[in-house]
Amino acid sequence: MTKLEAVIQNSKLDAVKTALHEIGVEGMTVIEVRGHGRQKGHTEVYRGREYSVDLIPKTKIEMVLPDAMVEKAVQAVLGAARTGKIGDGKIFLSRMDEAIRIRNDERGEGAL
Amino acid sequence: MMAASPLINELRSSLSEESARIHRAFESSGDGRAAVAQRTSLIEDILRKLWCDIVSPDASGPPNIALVATGGFGRGWLFPYSDIDLLFLFGDRDGEQAFRDPVRKFSQELWDLRLKLSPASRTLAECDRYDSNNTEFTISLLDCRYLMGDRDLFRKLHDKVIPKLVMRESKALLQGLAEVTRERHAKHGMTLYHLEPNLKEAPGGLRDCNVASWLALISAIDKLHDWPDASSLRAPVKKQLEAALDFLMSARCFLHFRHGRDDNTLSWGEQDEAAARKVGAADALELSAADWMRIYFGHARAVQRTVTQLLEEIPEAWSALYRQVQSWRSRLTTADFSVVDGLIFLQQPSALQDPEVLLRLFHFMAHHGLKLSATTEYRIEQALPALAVTPPRGAELWLYLQETLLQPYAADALRAMHSLRLLTLLLPELNLIDSLVVRDFYHRFTVDEHSFLAIESLHRLKQSKSEWDQRYGGLLGELEDPELLHLALLLHDTGKGIPSGSHVEASLDVANHAMDRLDVDPKERAEVLFLIANHLEMSATLRRDIFDPATVAAFAEKMGTPERLKMLALLTYADIKAVNPEALTPWKAENVWQLYIGAENYLNRSADQRVHADVNDEKLARLRSLAPVTSSKFKGFLEGFPQRYLLVHTAEEVMRHLGMADELGVDPVQVELKRGRHWYELTLVTQDRPFLFATLAGVLAAWGMNIVKANAFSNQAGTVVDTISFTDRFRTLELNLSEWERFRRSVTSVLLGEADLEKMLRDRQRSEKGAIAKVKVETKIEFDDSCSSTSTLVQVIAQDRPRLLHRIASCLSDQECNIEIALIDTEGQMAIDTFYLTSGGKKLKAEHCRQVEKALVEELRGE
Repeated sequence: MTKLEAVIQNSKLDAVKTALHEIGVEGMTVIEVRGHGRQKGHTEVYRGREYSVDLIPKTKIEMVLPDAMVEKAVQAVLGAARTGKIGDGKIFLSRMDEAIRIRNDERGEGAL
Repeated sequence: MMAASPLINELRSSLSEESARIHRAFESSGDGRAAVAQRTSLIEDILRKLWCDIVSPDASGPPNIALVATGGFGRGWLFPYSDIDLLFLFGDRDGEQAFRDPVRKFSQELWDLRLKLSPASRTLAECDRYDSNNTEFTISLLDCRYLMGDRDLFRKLHDKVIPKLVMRESKALLQGLAEVTRERHAKHGMTLYHLEPNLKEAPGGLRDCNVASWLALISAIDKLHDWPDASSLRAPVKKQLEAALDFLMSARCFLHFRHGRDDNTLSWGEQDEAAARKVGAADALELSAADWMRIYFGHARAVQRTVTQLLEEIPEAWSALYRQVQSWRSRLTTADFSVVDGLIFLQQPSALQDPEVLLRLFHFMAHHGLKLSATTEYRIEQALPALAVTPPRGAELWLYLQETLLQPYAADALRAMHSLRLLTLLLPELNLIDSLVVRDFYHRFTVDEHSFLAIESLHRLKQSKSEWDQRYGGLLGELEDPELLHLALLLHDTGKGIPSGSHVEASLDVANHAMDRLDVDPKERAEVLFLIANHLEMSATLRRDIFDPATVAAFAEKMGTPERLKMLALLTYADIKAVNPEALTPWKAENVWQLYIGAENYLNRSADQRVHADVNDEKLARLRSLAPVTSSKFKGFLEGFPQRYLLVHTAEEVMRHLGMADELGVDPVQVELKRGRHWYELTLVTQDRPFLFATLAGVLAAWGMNIVKANAFSNQAGTVVDTISFTDRFRTLELNLSEWERFRRSVTSVLLGEADLEKMLRDRQRSEKGAIAKVKVETKIEFDDSCSSTSTLVQVIAQDRPRLLHRIASCLSDQECNIEIALIDTEGQMAIDTFYLTSGGKKLKAEHCRQVEKALVEELRGE
């Protein structure tokens, strides 16, 4: 099993969700996050006061997938979240040892 | 494993058969009271048999121990899966020691029968002690009932110990009960209007019915020094509570039977089923889930009102600090209303025959954060039928309503009006959302409560310590007509009460009806409708890339003016906040703010996009329809004005400006003066000339007027339309009607060069002492050469002070700059002035900008 975490632009959440649903990924966790990569932040001036946006609001999605699904899911996220500009986000993959469904103690990929 | 005794087997089968019988009887009758009484009787029978088997063959023995039903069981209200509250009462410690084993066995057998027992063991002396950490135990004794054992021992408890304990500890008991009740209400967000309420614990639920009885009982025992013969509640209150109990008992039995456990949450599935089965409402015709929930909320509302009033009316229930505040509030008494212990009473009981007094009453409540006394509520209920014949309406009603909406406790006043059915009498459109449950995964409250909460969250911005609340609170203070924002919040979701495709469209229809009733001025109506029509727009834009300038530009253009943008940002913030307590995360607040400032900056930096009178758009089409005869003049007048001109002025105002421009041949300076809600507004229409704006600002300064906002625009033909909003610092115009004409003449003669402005300014300066600024604002000058293709923008932020605008504008003119557009604003003690400048018909060169900056810095330095 592999955990896929993707930090994406807020505006791309709906498109990414739809793309993942289309390949059969139904469960995910969505988290409101702030951060920056190379995009850095920027400063706006509002009524004479500088309003610094050094950490940009982003959306993070997380899901744990059977290994067979991982590449398809990565492609779905890439396809839906990419604009080609700095700030499109990143995908992180990591190995998962176990998944347990709390309701019935089911374990392994069946619990996903 | 030991085999169960024959008695246990018999009890188990009797419990199972009788429980099934009670369930069947409830399914057929729907009578909750009967079901709980039967369950109580069934459990008593089991207890008696066990007692005779384990403790004493004689149910009224042995001496020195008694079995007492307390809490719900004591009241005879045993719901299908409720705990059984039992007290093992002992004469003394020896008795407790002697009966330890039989009591343990007795309890164990009950557990083995799968009955949920809540047992307590106390000696008589222990029952006589009040423990402030366990108010619940002493309260549970108020419902004690003899079951088995030593009857004399029980009599000592009931007839002597409890009345003495209550008399001795009445104050602490009332305070303790008030405290646990308030804590419980707080867990439910202090409101009964949940989409999926817990009908036992939520405000207005079964627990509150008991609290009402306990409060009345404690007061009665304290007064009579004994148990009262009958219920201590007033007859009408008792009647309401009994009706609520009938409904709530049936609903709770229904939930217990349906879940097979003590689960009291009315979730959506349960609401559908309860409505289909007409639980607690057997006489009703067809019921939808929403209709059934309205019945629930109606009862819950009556229960909550009773409990709230009893808590307010019993001074012993107050903490010392609360009492101090209430005593201070007693000084608020007026000719119409007296305030006693924080409750409003009418000075003249018959006064409510005058609808104005009624409206003033709720304004008074909204202003001071007071509550209505039970007597006042009763009088209002009595006055409503007469009021319903000819309810107040029109501008007078709107005046009272807007004043009430602006008060800090407006939401509480609206809730009280709603609970008494006055609000829906005045605005029947709100019936559509009365206790309306609309199911989605985000909202936690009914639509009416959501609207009140949104209004409340706006008012709370001012006192909040949260960073985001303070930031948005600052915006609220800058609004020209905050009452329009509040009215929009009150009406924004009314369309949810109409089954249709889009609730926004339906809300617009409903809002139009409501504003017809209130006779709202067309300009104000347009603002309210704009807010309702766009109340989801900001949230929708947040789903796009708000760092993309095109997204920001499209959104800002939809908003049109900074004032509308500001109101919509506040409406969005309050609307999200009222969805549920966790809905407005700092992340969302920041996103809304980011979009707001992006759009605000865009609006100020794109103000010079010009109007072309030939273009077809909605506003121009409306203007053409108003001016068909003078269409060529109209075209010439509009050509070349900034788009912003059409956004900040209504079609009627534009037509008036056109009329004034028409008169320029006769009188070269056209001046109009009017008084608005917050400030005066001067409109000047004339031909452009050097130093015009500076001179206009100067003449106002010479009269001691404080310029708050200004818009200065000119068209291609060089006709200038300047509007200046100002406050009259010395109340010259307010107190002297004759000065209006002199002021108008003064403006005209200065602009025509017939009066000496410098002398007027010197005279004013001599008569004024320099005021010390409360907040120091650092001067900032910023140039932007990229936002306009024809002008250079300069934004000046400076400490607001008399003659500031005159000095800035004069300095710009001295530097040979032509002011194409001026957007003047004030925020507290900070002046924020934006000018679009040209020189010789072109943008300013870099060197020229440096000179202008140097001159402005020099001009504004120090003082």
